[in-house]
Amino acid sequence: MPRDGASSGPTVRAGGLWQVFGANATVALPDEVALGGSSADIAGRLLEKGLNPAVRGVSFDVAPGELFVIMGLSGSGKSTLVRCISRLVEPTAGSVEIEGEDILAASKARMTELRRSRMGMVFQHFGLFPHMTVLDNVAFPLKVGGMARRARHEKVMPIIEMVGLDGRERAYPRELSGGQRQRVGIARSLAGDCTVWFLDEPFSALDPLIRRQLQDEFLEIRTRLNTTIVFITHDIAEALKLADRIAIMRDGEIVQIGTPTEIVLRPVDGYVSQFSRDVARGRHAKVGSIMRTEGEMGECGGPGLRADMTLETALASCMSLYDPVPVLDDDGAVIGMVHPADLASSLQVEES
Amino acid sequence: MIPGRSPAVPAALAALLAGALCLTLESVAPWLARFPANWTLPATDWAGTFLEWLLLGLKPAARWFSWLLGYPMLWANAALGQTPWPLMIGTATAIGWYLGGLPMAALGLGGLGFVLLSGYWVESMNTLALVAVSVPLALAVGGVIGVAANEFPRIKSSVQAALDVMQTVPTFAYLTPLLLLFGFGPVVGMIASAIYAAPPMARNVILGLERVDPEVREAAVMSGGTRIQQLLLVEIPSAARQIMVGVNQCLMAALSMVIIAAVIGGFNDIGWEVLLTMRKAQFGLALMAGLVIVVFAIVIDRMSAALAHERRRGDPRVAYGIVALSVLVVLVFQARLPDPSTLTFLDPAAERVDRALGEFTANNGEALNQFRNGAMFYVLLPLRIGLDEAALPFTWGFQWTATMSAGLFAAAAVAGACLALSGRAVSGLLLVIGSGIIETGIANLPWPFVLVATFSLAWVASGRRLAILCVALLATVLVSGLWERALLSLYLSGAAVFACAVVGGAIGLLCAVAPSIWRVVRLVCDMLQTIPLFVFLIPVLMFFQIGEFSAFLAICAYAIVPMIRYTRHGLVMTPPELLEAAVASGATPWQIMRDVRAPYAAPTVLLGLNQTILYAFAMLVIAALIGTTGLGQSIYLALGSADVGLGVSAGAAMAILALICDRLVQAFAEGRRTALGL
Repeated sequence: MPRDGASSGPTVRAGGLWQVFGANATVALPDEVALGGSSADIAGRLLEKGLNPAVRGVSFDVAPGELFVIMGLSGSGKSTLVRCISRLVEPTAGSVEIEGEDILAASKARMTELRRSRMGMVFQHFGLFPHMTVLDNVAFPLKVGGMARRARHEKVMPIIEMVGLDGRERAYPRELSGGQRQRVGIARSLAGDCTVWFLDEPFSALDPLIRRQLQDEFLEIRTRLNTTIVFITHDIAEALKLADRIAIMRDGEIVQIGTPTEIVLRPVDGYVSQFSRDVARGRHAKVGSIMRTEGEMGECGGPGLRADMTLETALASCMSLYDPVPVLDDDGAVIGMVHPADLASSLQVEES
Repeated sequence: MIPGRSPAVPAALAALLAGALCLTLESVAPWLARFPANWTLPATDWAGTFLEWLLLGLKPAARWFSWLLGYPMLWANAALGQTPWPLMIGTATAIGWYLGGLPMAALGLGGLGFVLLSGYWVESMNTLALVAVSVPLALAVGGVIGVAANEFPRIKSSVQAALDVMQTVPTFAYLTPLLLLFGFGPVVGMIASAIYAAPPMARNVILGLERVDPEVREAAVMSGGTRIQQLLLVEIPSAARQIMVGVNQCLMAALSMVIIAAVIGGFNDIGWEVLLTMRKAQFGLALMAGLVIVVFAIVIDRMSAALAHERRRGDPRVAYGIVALSVLVVLVFQARLPDPSTLTFLDPAAERVDRALGEFTANNGEALNQFRNGAMFYVLLPLRIGLDEAALPFTWGFQWTATMSAGLFAAAAVAGACLALSGRAVSGLLLVIGSGIIETGIANLPWPFVLVATFSLAWVASGRRLAILCVALLATVLVSGLWERALLSLYLSGAAVFACAVVGGAIGLLCAVAPSIWRVVRLVCDMLQTIPLFVFLIPVLMFFQIGEFSAFLAICAYAIVPMIRYTRHGLVMTPPELLEAAVASGATPWQIMRDVRAPYAAPTVLLGLNQTILYAFAMLVIAALIGTTGLGQSIYLALGSADVGLGVSAGAAMAILALICDRLVQAFAEGRRTALGL
């Protein structure tokens, strides 16, 4: 399928994905789906049959260049979901399109080709090949693609430099620290110039300090590449920090999809709000999300709020104010108003 | 041990009842004591007829294969035989240097140097040639089986079951059908050793591939590797270490089997030399030939084990240098190199050993005999034929009577009742059953009792499925007419296993408590495990001549090692926080051992017992060479008369016994593990 023709649509599209583990799952699932009911009802009936529905009728789109985070606790099915999309496991039902191509219909050879040219994946425990040096690990996707030794080594050196491992390319994985290992994992997944980048809890196995450092470097790398990213995490803070949009998963279903601000300020249910309870909302929600754009606009000036300021920063500059404050754009024009009382109340954490 | 509502009490009761009924009804219904011969099926003959027909059909192909394999054999023989010995020694030293630095190089040099000086160089090279051809064959076959089992999960469980069975079939049993297929000659030994050595390789390949980190596997998929690329570039190299363990085990198994195969004779190898000198009672020479085998085993084992360790390899340039040096030596001294078969430096030593041994046995013969007879008359014989037959006036000083039996049973019943009243009903019942077994003798146990007891044991260990399986397997032995021989085998290996469990367990405990003792014991254990089975026969023969007691000792020497190792390992491996918790609760070291370490170690110790049982069965057949009765003897006799039916069915019966023991102990170990939440 031509790449250009699909460029306007979503890069990744999952529709009605089911992953049911157990004997005869491929027979049982259509039967139960035919009986009707919500996906929770179907899953309940499957569980009664002794089957394990890990992913339950999940659908979502990821736009080109978007960083889409799938967040959920352990056992919520997020790792299985990303393996369905990358077809590491065969979904029981549903469809997965990557750049408009139905990859579940792709032949084995086509899948291999897609993985060489379009997909990259980073694993939670790195998945490094213990018998290869850093250089050989990173160049592996090119090697299996048939690129000559010298050419592939030349090609991956800049990537190794980008992840900050230059000088260590002759080292073996066992000689590296956890953070360095994951840099190798990241470099390897980028060696094939992927257009879709899957990261399965890439930083979960690392120390908090190293984790933050790698998150920052990840964002930095992201600005240099223009890939579409599906990022799995169980850490809400990480999700809020990195994501363009977040999908919250629970028991194999997506509970809510939204921007970090939407997730924090407008959780659809108690489950989602439980996550955001521990999060300092002011650091993630932006002024734009609570600003009024209708009605009377004030004059320019005031403390100079911007729509993309976090609530925390905004509140700090409006501490002593009681009247609505104008929000300005880059040119200094007023684009909306924020009432300090709204600011304060949206920061309030609910008690329950 | 087993909580309240377990089936242990009814099971033990059932076994007790069956035994008691058989004993009381013995006189009325003699068929209870001895399985009537006219109830048996001529299974041995059937197996013989069928196998002969089958083997006859396969024979042309086999002979062709044998002819084909004759070539690599010839080449290997020529290559190893014609290579001047300095070059061989140099190469071994160089390989040692590359694999493990100075210590390994010294091992290679010293080991082969000893072989040269012993005068058994030619025979050793012949043995090595057999190994050199059979091992690649075994590695290839095992590797293919392992990879296939990994690629096609559907066949995996059946492959593993087949490997289990192959491990329990005694080594000699392979030889008879092979003899018929391939005829006499070195190729039979080679093929037998390839068959025997392939399973460990296959097993380790399966295990290694199974243990590849799933993310590593997924990373290979996501990198766009085809299945072949994933396997060859990622999975097999990742499993390299485990596969190297397989190579090591494969080498050792092949060496062991090549030496065992010497009993069919015909290729002037070192195993034959041992057998020959042993038959001629030249123990000094036998010991030396045995030592040559041990040296070979140690060199091959340590060097191939170094393959499995991620160690820094020696500088290859030094290795090349060593080889070059030995080439130089060959060129310079070409004409003056002594013919290795004329070297007799160590013969005086061997003669001295012979003489010293002669003197020793002459001086202490009385004591040795007394020791042996004591063990025979007071321990082994009663176990075999029971107190009622073993206690005779000329050994025990009195004749066992029915009254004494009644007294024994009454005493056991009273003691058992006391135990039962104090809440240990199972122990009480077992005590009574035990007294019955001692009175009757294992070889004379009534068959209904054996079936019921096995059924009960399997039921308690695992449940109905295992119980039915075990009884069905035993019943096939029963109706095939091999029952009495099976009981004899069971008795000898049972006695050996019991001795190993007690002594080995005690040594293991001691080693767990005192690391300094372990350092010594460990060396001995390493040594015992490297020695090919065959060599164990030499020292026991030297001191105790041919007979059941010698066989018993040989079996014990070989089978005790796992018991020691696993007992120590289990006791040492208690998690530190458990020990800290026990100390913090105020437990004394003895209490910690009894209440914390021992229960925690129980599953591991049971696995050790399992290994000991399998080792004992394996050695039992080899020990048939120096005089045992039972299945081992039948297998050995079948080999001599090329009786395929008897060889194969006796081998199968042996495998069945081993398999039942294995499953029972495994099930108990599994139960303990589950109870501990491991």
